[in-house]
Amino acid sequence: MCCWFFLRRMGPVLLLWVAVCLSGSWAVDKGNFKTCDQSAFCKRQRAMKPGESPYRALLETMELTNTRLTLQLINDNNKVRLLLELYRLQGNITRVKINELKPLKPRYEVPDVLIREPPTEPLSLLSQDENGVVLSLGAESQRVIVSARPFRLDIVEGRDVLMSLNSRGLLGFEHLRMRKDTFSYKVTSTVASVWDNIKRVFSSQADPEAENKEGTDPANPAETAKEEEEKVEDGMWEETFKTHTDSKPSGPSAVSLDFSLPGVEHVYGIPEHGDSLKLKTTDSGDPYRLYNLDVFQYELYNPMALYGSVPVMLSHNARRTMGIFWLNAAETWVDISSNTAGKTVFGKMLDYVQGSSETPQTDVRWISESGIIDVFLMLGPTPRDVFSQYASLTGTQAFPPLASLGYHQCRWNYNDQEDVRSVDAGFDEHDIPYDFIWLDIEHTDGKRYFTWDPHKFASPKEMLQGLQDKKRKMVAIVDPHIKVDTNYKIHNEIRSRGFYVKNKDGGDYEGWCWPGSAGYPDFTRPDMRAWWASQFAYDQYEGTMENLYTWNDMNEPSVFNGPEVTMHKDAMHESWEHRDVHNLYGLYVHRATAEGLIERSGGVERPFVLTRAFFAGSQRYGAVWTGDNAAEWDHLKISIPMCLSLGLVGISFCGADVGGFFKSPSTELLVRWYQTGAYQPFFRAHAHLDTPRREPWLFGPENTALIREVIRQRYTFLPYWYQLFYLAYQTGEPVMRPLWVEYPQDPATFALDDEFLLGRDLLVHPVTEEGARGVTAYLPGKHEVWFDIHTFQKHNGGQNLYIPVTMSSIPVFQRGGSIIPRKLRVRRSSTCMEHDPYTLYVALDNRRTAEGELYIDDGHTFNYEKKELMHRKFSFANGVLSSVDLEPNAQFTTKSWVERIIILGASKPSMVTLKTADGENQLEFDFDASMSVLTIRKPGMNAGADWTVTLQ
Amino acid sequence: CSFLSSEMRFHIITAAFLWAAFVESRKIRGISSSYKRFYRERKSFLCIDGSKIIPFEQVNDDYCDCADGSDEPGTSACPRGRFYCTNLGFRPHYIPSSRVNDGICDCCDASDEYNSHARCQNTCWNLGQKERAYVEGQMKTLDEGLRLKQQLIEEGVLLWREKQAQLRELQRAAEDLQIKLEEHRKRKHEADRLKEQTLKALKAGDRGKAPSIFRTHFKTFAHFAELFQFTQLGRQANKLTILHLTHLKIARLCLCAASRSPLKIPPYIWRALFGNTRGAQSQQRRIVNLSDLLFCLAAEWEAADLKKVEEAYETVNMEISDLQKKLEIDYGTDWEYLFLNGQCYKLKVYEYMYTLCPFNTVSQKSTAGTEVSLGLWGMWAGPAKNRYSQMVYENGEPCWQGGSRTTSVTLTCGTETGLRSVKEPSKCQYIMDFETPVACQPVLKQRGVHSEL
Repeated sequence: MCCWFFLRRMGPVLLLWVAVCLSGSWAVDKGNFKTCDQSAFCKRQRAMKPGESPYRALLETMELTNTRLTLQLINDNNKVRLLLELYRLQGNITRVKINELKPLKPRYEVPDVLIREPPTEPLSLLSQDENGVVLSLGAESQRVIVSARPFRLDIVEGRDVLMSLNSRGLLGFEHLRMRKDTFSYKVTSTVASVWDNIKRVFSSQADPEAENKEGTDPANPAETAKEEEEKVEDGMWEETFKTHTDSKPSGPSAVSLDFSLPGVEHVYGIPEHGDSLKLKTTDSGDPYRLYNLDVFQYELYNPMALYGSVPVMLSHNARRTMGIFWLNAAETWVDISSNTAGKTVFGKMLDYVQGSSETPQTDVRWISESGIIDVFLMLGPTPRDVFSQYASLTGTQAFPPLASLGYHQCRWNYNDQEDVRSVDAGFDEHDIPYDFIWLDIEHTDGKRYFTWDPHKFASPKEMLQGLQDKKRKMVAIVDPHIKVDTNYKIHNEIRSRGFYVKNKDGGDYEGWCWPGSAGYPDFTRPDMRAWWASQFAYDQYEGTMENLYTWNDMNEPSVFNGPEVTMHKDAMHESWEHRDVHNLYGLYVHRATAEGLIERSGGVERPFVLTRAFFAGSQRYGAVWTGDNAAEWDHLKISIPMCLSLGLVGISFCGADVGGFFKSPSTELLVRWYQTGAYQPFFRAHAHLDTPRREPWLFGPENTALIREVIRQRYTFLPYWYQLFYLAYQTGEPVMRPLWVEYPQDPATFALDDEFLLGRDLLVHPVTEEGARGVTAYLPGKHEVWFDIHTFQKHNGGQNLYIPVTMSSIPVFQRGGSIIPRKLRVRRSSTCMEHDPYTLYVALDNRRTAEGELYIDDGHTFNYEKKELMHRKFSFANGVLSSVDLEPNAQFTTKSWVERIIILGASKPSMVTLKTADGENQLEFDFDASMSVLTIRKPGMNAGADWTVTLQ
Repeated sequence: CSFLSSEMRFHIITAAFLWAAFVESRKIRGISSSYKRFYRERKSFLCIDGSKIIPFEQVNDDYCDCADGSDEPGTSACPRGRFYCTNLGFRPHYIPSSRVNDGICDCCDASDEYNSHARCQNTCWNLGQKERAYVEGQMKTLDEGLRLKQQLIEEGVLLWREKQAQLRELQRAAEDLQIKLEEHRKRKHEADRLKEQTLKALKAGDRGKAPSIFRTHFKTFAHFAELFQFTQLGRQANKLTILHLTHLKIARLCLCAASRSPLKIPPYIWRALFGNTRGAQSQQRRIVNLSDLLFCLAAEWEAADLKKVEEAYETVNMEISDLQKKLEIDYGTDWEYLFLNGQCYKLKVYEYMYTLCPFNTVSQKSTAGTEVSLGLWGMWAGPAKNRYSQMVYENGEPCWQGGSRTTSVTLTCGTETGLRSVKEPSKCQYIMDFETPVACQPVLKQRGVHSEL
């Protein structure tokens, strides 16, 4: 939920003011957020024009060890030296790090995002002359060419340039410097020069050559900086936006670098933006911005920053997929330009016909406010390779508890225990399954998190037990802003331990948020996180039990009265400025909370934590949603590219508020949103406090039936969802993925974002148009066939298929060649379905074969890490369907059995035989000739058994 | 209804297999006794919708064969199936078959969890007891409620008559006032004319005419003896009320117009007219022609009097229209809800005090003290068969996101009249439970506990 709404509680005057603002327009007030021009470092850096770079590689400083290459770069304009480090990492990744050789003080290097120090591979020198160096990148024919003057890096495979760095000469590195117009500068510089003299005396005694070296080649930045006149621009040492002044104690510190991608016309990623899947060029407007912000009523189809940031971009063409991971947590802007973007299809064709086309190329430029350049070039070549490369750096999706893949019912707010009870009963009355009911901020005692409203939620355990009795669960919100109130235990402890973020003057930072004046715990501190985690223990967080989970909202952090509704950049996290860590704050909140939930169970139970703010690596801690959207058709549409973009950069557990948070959806929009949300990973309905109720049964029996049906569909597919999440956890492959990931050579798929795949086997084209009579879905794969999951109608791949739709239609197709296990006995909650039997949907491809998997474990503990799981592979070929164990070392038994096998695209057999360890028997079957569907009745074997079913 | 037709079809088809009629049927799980006839044991089973014939062993074999789910009344196999809880000692009912063996006890006789971890107790007897006690309580409440309702109906009729009488009285008063009003209008008109004449005469210096006018209209002046009587009684000028002062001010103006008056005004009147200032004292010497003064005064006095009568007339008319409006409201067939009009009921919920004044207003007052209207009487909004079960109050204070606050009040049967609960499920939409004997309906009495033996 968004901040501005707190104003209404602040009094009628403000209310009137906000009302006036609102009546003007329903959308974001863009003036509250910076453009690149209003962000001094972005403006400075963007003003640099491509051309000759002032940077030169000092090849004589090159050092090559087994694991890395280092080399100094010099800026010929100001003589400041940088240190370049180049690593070849395992799995076809190249890491390039650039920092000042001798910074005045350390520059921030992002910790805790990489899961470990990435293992390196040897680099070897292929050739070297005065113009540059050529290194071999491992076994493949990949080389990196370091050019000296001007400095640039080219990564080459065979004869192709894969990627070039600083090829446009836009490397920018603002070195740390003393402020010249202040007293402290004068003192310090005097001291520094005295120190330099002393040093020189000593060093000349110790190493006469050293002085010699320095004499010929002045390398000391402190010295050289004094020599040349730095141009002082506005906004270098202080910057004001609206009423907020950023004191910028460290002065200018931005870093930037350009990347050229020859042959690339499609780039993706860098969430979070309310924009299309394929990123647009930014030449005519602002760059894409990455700066975690609480944006009130965000607008779509623009590059404005939203709640989270993952500085990872993927590039793709028919031959290769690559990724750039820019590891920097400060405010970041990304410019994209393309030499083909402006061309019409006709122009492109003309180029093609005339053969005069220049190679298409996309140029990208990253600009960050502080920190260093630390960039991972993930060289693919396949989409799967890039996923696994990125996963090897930042980890994979946390494997969620099975129940969290069910349906979530949320609202700001369910008012009291009685309300919760009656909504829960409503689901039973209308026979609609759900797993989680959610409580927003009003459940607390005056927005004091970790507490309950003493009147409205007087006996939370009783309420939780009531849910537990139906095998259902609850999520309660815990935000990171802490009410400043000396009667509040959490506040007192954080204050007395000194755990709050500090303001620039050293006092506890205070801002306005839901509770009024609030402090912000410094989640960047491990000791703070450990303490926070300990607060989730059942004896600390009163009224909780194991079926209560957590939701972290407002963790950008949202500060209602702060610049751009967030924290002042000169606030201090111990020795680092908020500027350095901003985009990381939300990840730390999420992490500390998830760790708390793990700890409270003694490390046994999987946590479930939803976060609004995120960064690279947030996938390790739980789920993410797309924040405060609105009940508008465009917001329904954008939920697809927004979650696809997150999936590409590792965050698979993504969803949008079903129905839209702000405003009230029409019944049609609500139904369509349920139909879409049911096929997206995180499936939660949510609504703003000021909107009318919208529980699924409030729109007449017809619509209740439509919503019931689609939620039930979701539950039948839970085994498949669970298996996809296990895959995501193991490999980093997204659960919900763009079509190009599976059909990387088919350019028709490259920009599609109104349909998507779940895993490889389900294609979903939700209806997202008001009053739609039909949709046109692209069915990919020339040799594929696709089966409508509702009618079993078979369609050929490689075509645009027009599908007439009614209100009950959800165009979903199962790929021929796949086997999907489903549970058709939909019950009150996923937990109630635990021991239920499976129905296998075997969809045959043109070669009459199919494959699929089944993953089962206890659904909620970490015991799968100890191999307490079952992972089976189904294959169908030559009329024989078999189940074999993929994890023979694993231990798990299930009560679930196979109750039905449905073979799509089958022909009629004369006999069907089941063979298990217990022997052979004939199975009954039913054949529908009109759709070629064979239904095998009740084979009955345990889901964990080895078996074959033979059609004769 | 669809059941009926399939049932009939079933009968036709089964007629051919009537030999089975005597076969003893084995206990089929999950069906009611009235459905037993569909499940008589024989070689095959016909789905109740007639869609398929299956071997009888496939009934309740945990695999769904019939599209209507009728082959699996006792398992969870069919997505649209239902399971019959016999619940001996309590009320029997159906549950969706998805609740069979899901680890949650749904039937109080525990029959739904015959193959699960859940350890369900048979709680039917207890529930039955409770239900019976509850129903008994309800019955008592209902009896008492109906008795009170009868009283209220009687009172309602009386009240209705009383109100009608009140209305008639008011209407009569209005008629009287109207006559009075016309009289006063005439008088004022006359007084105005005289004033006009006098002023004209004074202006023209025709002083002799004035006393004659005085004489001709002696009656009118007699009417104003009151004023002088008053001033004479209140020898002390400070006893003149503000009301009179207004008139005196008017008199003063007239006096000025008729400057050269021969009559000597007693000092106390003078003081009353001009105040006790030095300037006033010097004016004392001026001699006023009383008759002139009286003409002026008469006109103003008549005007004031007319206004009074007009106001009284208006007030009565307003009362009439209020009462009429009140009586236009539908108070139920026997005016049984009439007594609620004019009452207010309060309930505190958390930090808010809610007030319901039936047929008038609903409001909410926070502990901070601000009062917000949650709606004005709108209409009865219950379903057609019991439209008096719900009231709607609309057009309360406007809301943040547009629209205005509305309140829906559900009336339930109880022995006392009062507000029982208030909820705000969505912003600006309030739901109240209002208990009153007049909401008691005799039909309720037919509900009770059945149990299948």
